[in-house]
Amino acid sequence: MRGLIVFLINLYQKWISPAFPARCKYYPSCSSYAASAISNYGFRGIFMTIWRLMRCNPWSHGGVDYAVKPLQTIQKTSVGVN
Amino acid sequence: MGAILNPLYDLVSGVIIIFHKLLTPVFGADSGVTWSLSIVGLVILIRIILIPLFVKQIKSQRALTALQPHMKAIQNKYKDDRQKQSEEMMKLYKEHKTNPLASCFPIIAQAPIFFALFTVLNGIAAKNDAGVPAPIARGFLKGEYLESASQATFFGAKISQSFLGSPDTTVKIVTVILIFIMSATTFTTQRQLMVKGMPKMDSSNNMMLQQQKIMLYLFPVIFAVSGVNFPVGVLIYWSTTNFWTWGQQYYVIKRNPTPGSPAYEELQQKRKHKEKQENREQSGTVIDPENTEPDQMGEVKGQRKQPKKKKKK
Repeated sequence: MRGLIVFLINLYQKWISPAFPARCKYYPSCSSYAASAISNYGFRGIFMTIWRLMRCNPWSHGGVDYAVKPLQTIQKTSVGVN
Repeated sequence: MGAILNPLYDLVSGVIIIFHKLLTPVFGADSGVTWSLSIVGLVILIRIILIPLFVKQIKSQRALTALQPHMKAIQNKYKDDRQKQSEEMMKLYKEHKTNPLASCFPIIAQAPIFFALFTVLNGIAAKNDAGVPAPIARGFLKGEYLESASQATFFGAKISQSFLGSPDTTVKIVTVILIFIMSATTFTTQRQLMVKGMPKMDSSNNMMLQQQKIMLYLFPVIFAVSGVNFPVGVLIYWSTTNFWTWGQQYYVIKRNPTPGSPAYEELQQKRKHKEKQENREQSGTVIDPENTEPDQMGEVKGQRKQPKKKKKK
């Protein structure tokens, strides 16, 4: 079930979302948030997603908001700078 | 579930009935025009309610000019890491409490309305097990209204019928045309924004091609696959809302374009030209347009030209 929902979200991200201008106020976007929340927390992830979508409203300022905190040890940006 | 859906049925059918009552003296109670325009009325009402949100978004987009240097810095710093780039961008917006993006919720919020309209219209066309029409009343669409709506037509096709649900050729032709209109309006709206409405970016060309490909080939397929299940009335709703989106965007691009976009440059040139002519008419002498303050050129706030420092000898 989790896999199916995540698959559908991935389909949306690959084929539908790119056709429209970006609209999400957060990083990661609501769809990425939903995919990681549902694959990590299952049923609870659905409620997290609903709450996230409600926060992504015209009055919000957005920002950075992960469903699952990424590992801080991998710092892509520090590689290859010098 | 009924506790959530019933108020939505009431809302959608109530608005349609109100427009039906308003339009009855003009076109007659049982006219297909009255019923079709009632659905259009529902769209217009919803979109008018959404206008303040749109204006708010445009305003915060324009406020972005002040952040331009910060944004450039982020783009340069994380040139090779798009993800980090957008993460830092979102942080910046939050810090300055101005987010130019439209947000996801309004789209999601429209889905239940769309679903409610779909169910209300499908109820009109419902049949019992024997295949005899047995309309289901939902919300305020009942009694004589239900009777009248079940006979209402749009260019000869009953508004409650769908491509797959009806053997009628007229219904099939009308639905196919509406699906085509939906695809075409979505495509033109997106193309208009990409070509004229957005500031030029290095990477946008590639993205644009990708988007146009999806728009041209995939979207008609998606619309066709879903559209064959939708009653004509739902297709009217969808097409109308697409036209509205296009018109709204056209207005903004013409009257108040994003600074840095091709449409913005066009408007500036037009204004300059107009000013030149007005000056000529007023005083009879040509005032050098380069010397007029840019601040006088209407309300559009672009970046002010920095005065050049003169070298001292």
